[in-house]
Amino acid sequence: MNKFVLKCLFYSFLCSVQLNVWAGTPVININIQNHLFIPSEITIPENTKVKLLIHNLDDTDEEFESYELNREKVIIGNRRGVIFIGPLSAGEYPFFGEFFPKTAQGKVIVKPAE
Amino acid sequence: MLLNSVIIILREVLEAALLFSVLLALSKHSAIKQQWILWSAVIGVLGAAVYGLNMGLVSEWFEGVGQEVTNALIQLIIYFLLLVFISLQFKLHLLLKDEKQSVTKNAQNAMPSIQLLQPLLVFFMIVITTLAITREGAEMLLYFFSVTRNEHHYISTLIGMIIGASIGVSIGFLFYYLLVTVFCKWNMIIALSLLILVSSGMLSQATQLLIQADWIEAQLPLWDSSFLLSEKSVVGQLMYALIGYESTPTAIQAVLYLSGLILPVFIIMIIWKNHFMNVPK
Repeated sequence: MNKFVLKCLFYSFLCSVQLNVWAGTPVININIQNHLFIPSEITIPENTKVKLLIHNLDDTDEEFESYELNREKVIIGNRRGVIFIGPLSAGEYPFFGEFFPKTAQGKVIVKPAE
Repeated sequence: MLLNSVIIILREVLEAALLFSVLLALSKHSAIKQQWILWSAVIGVLGAAVYGLNMGLVSEWFEGVGQEVTNALIQLIIYFLLLVFISLQFKLHLLLKDEKQSVTKNAQNAMPSIQLLQPLLVFFMIVITTLAITREGAEMLLYFFSVTRNEHHYISTLIGMIIGASIGVSIGFLFYYLLVTVFCKWNMIIALSLLILVSSGMLSQATQLLIQADWIEAQLPLWDSSFLLSEKSVVGQLMYALIGYESTPTAIQAVLYLSGLILPVFIIMIIWKNHFMNVPK
């Protein structure tokens, strides 16, 4: 009997691990167009890793930069780049385009889990 | 556009300028000709052009995180090269000291080792600075060609870049002269300590890049010291360039930074001990 319970527990554990893997990392798309981030504000849940897929639709290169997120990456013109962010605690994390900072501004809003 | 280009170029140039000033001060101390700087400038700029031109392709590698992985690899290589450099430089320092005093029997054996170590150190300095310029320079080139695509910004960007580069190089010169004049007596200790801090900063940056690429599991930061010293501030930028200051480091980063500090200190202690064990009294 004991063995059976242990087996059940073990399999349910395996299943939960599997589910986690299958669920994958949420992807959020951001475009860079005319030196603007579109959308310029994105909302993600607390303590969650997120994959940002940044499509640079301009001919010029841009550098995604954020001191608060500790992220820095060149996104070549007419190409896309991947940046992983999180897990983060609730709050606001501004980011900007280092090459065109006057217009390229945005922020990640991290909402507390309900 | 002008102010922005000043800031961007200053940030990139500052990191390289501080590294150069420490290495040049060490060269002077070790009686090494400082002409190697020309070699690293030429090869570094070529490397930056090649890396910059292929940045789009490199970025596509490893499912879109090729840029992070390549930069992290460069930083890791620089760390290990600096580790070897620091060890050899310290050994050379001890040998030169023996030769100067020339009272110990060791002095007779010192000369061939000195002649062997000097060119080896030059080689290491050229490779280390070339890699640093390749990484930093590629970003500067991409910035320049992106911003100047709009003809209105051409002159102001160029002026801004020249001002930024001049400030960075000036700070480097100032730092160099401080090292070889005011701190002359402590030159060796200060320069080696700075190099150890710089190399640990490289290790921490490499970790950060691999976290960004999701190759190392991300964690919540260990602490937040941005209220004490923000990375956005001038001092924060300087500290980032010099010792890899990070206001919100994760546990992995902090551990690797500390290990990065301890390893060269440990090696220096072993070299020190071995050297004086061989000196006949």
